[in-house]
Amino acid sequence: MTPIQMTFSTMFLLGLMGLTFHRTHLLSALLCLESMMLSLFLATSLWALQLSTINIATVPMLLLAFSACEASSGLALLVATARTHGSDHMQNLNLLQC
Amino acid sequence: MNPYLLIVLLTSLGLGTALTLSSTHWLLAWLGLEVGTLAILPLMAQRHHPRATEAATKYFIVQATAAATLLFAAFNNAWLQGHSDIQHMSHPLFTSMITLALLLKLGLAPMHTWMPQVIQGVSLNTGLIVSTWQKIAPFILLLQIKQIHPPLLTIIGLASILIGGWGGLNQTQLRKILAYSSIAHLGWILLILQHSTALATYALLIYIFMTSATFITLKKCKATTINMLTTTWTKAPTITLVAPLMLLSLGGLPPLSGFAPKWFILQELTQLNFIPHASIAAMAALLSLSYYLRLSYSITLSLSPNNLPECLQWRVNYPISTPLSSALPAALALTLFLLPLTPSALTLII
Repeated sequence: MTPIQMTFSTMFLLGLMGLTFHRTHLLSALLCLESMMLSLFLATSLWALQLSTINIATVPMLLLAFSACEASSGLALLVATARTHGSDHMQNLNLLQC
Repeated sequence: MNPYLLIVLLTSLGLGTALTLSSTHWLLAWLGLEVGTLAILPLMAQRHHPRATEAATKYFIVQATAAATLLFAAFNNAWLQGHSDIQHMSHPLFTSMITLALLLKLGLAPMHTWMPQVIQGVSLNTGLIVSTWQKIAPFILLLQIKQIHPPLLTIIGLASILIGGWGGLNQTQLRKILAYSSIAHLGWILLILQHSTALATYALLIYIFMTSATFITLKKCKATTINMLTTTWTKAPTITLVAPLMLLSLGGLPPLSGFAPKWFILQELTQLNFIPHASIAAMAALLSLSYYLRLSYSITLSLSPNNLPECLQWRVNYPISTPLSSALPAALALTLFLLPLTPSALTLII
């Protein structure tokens, strides 16, 4: 595995672990989601540079556009959660327990 | 909801699934999945109720994580392989990672904990969309991936059938029961996915018909708990007649159409000599059957413990039709009477 691949894999996996194991605030989960998307953006940009083709050079931009949409909807849900539950503490999201 | 907004959101939902179905590149597949996720979030959160907001938030986090993991594994695989075709993936680790991400999107065990919560928190119509339409796109992607590690699919399939059966036993909320039934049915589909994609597609199709019929029936009865089902006989006697048959079809009893997928899956598994898998799946189907029988008992075979004159409604709201109720006869017919047509139905798919 090349050093580049190792680097962005580590970045992604760190973000994924942060998303999974943060138990206090919803905002930290959203931040880790953003860091995962950022690592994917870096990966595709480096991939386009390495292969020196222009076919895949637009992939980072598409990725960025859709991850921005996703982030904004995540923040809208954060605001909605703060309105209905009072804060973004994950412990308050317990209304739907089995 | 504003009708223009509703049209835009439903069109985006259809567009998302269509994009995923027509893609050969992983980026376009991911785009379609993301569009579908973003389009359903306003539908889920439209009621501004704390449970609806919580369900929308949990759904969003789960689907976004699964989509990001999918894209990560796809790009890693493309880096190592040179091309990003869906149908020609070769690296085993990243194939497994993509499979796990798609199974998280579908809500299969052991990644199923969000499903009952999300379907409980949203309205019945939106729960219908989440249970049926949102399963199509990840399932089609799963069909196209070759060389998935076979024990992975088998273990997750059997675990889903078992957890879908056991989880629904202690529930009184109908939407949670339907979520666990969805987990169980998707486990059956997963068992046969690696051996026969045609049977998996057929099983998914029958599952969609049965689940749609159930959700629309519950919407018509305006029932969300088992207690609310007991007064169905005063509101809609025809539904009281037909609902047990529909639930038994979900449980997989002949001569109803829910029997056909289970029959063919068990036949295929025994022909390929997977006897323990077939036995465990067949016996775990009994767990699901027990809560379907409980629901049909409360609809048809028992009276609610009230005074008899108090039960009967003498002011009925006309019309009692919701926007989806025109689809109920079609869904019910497909749920109940499709078994004799199975040979011709299979020739359409195989």
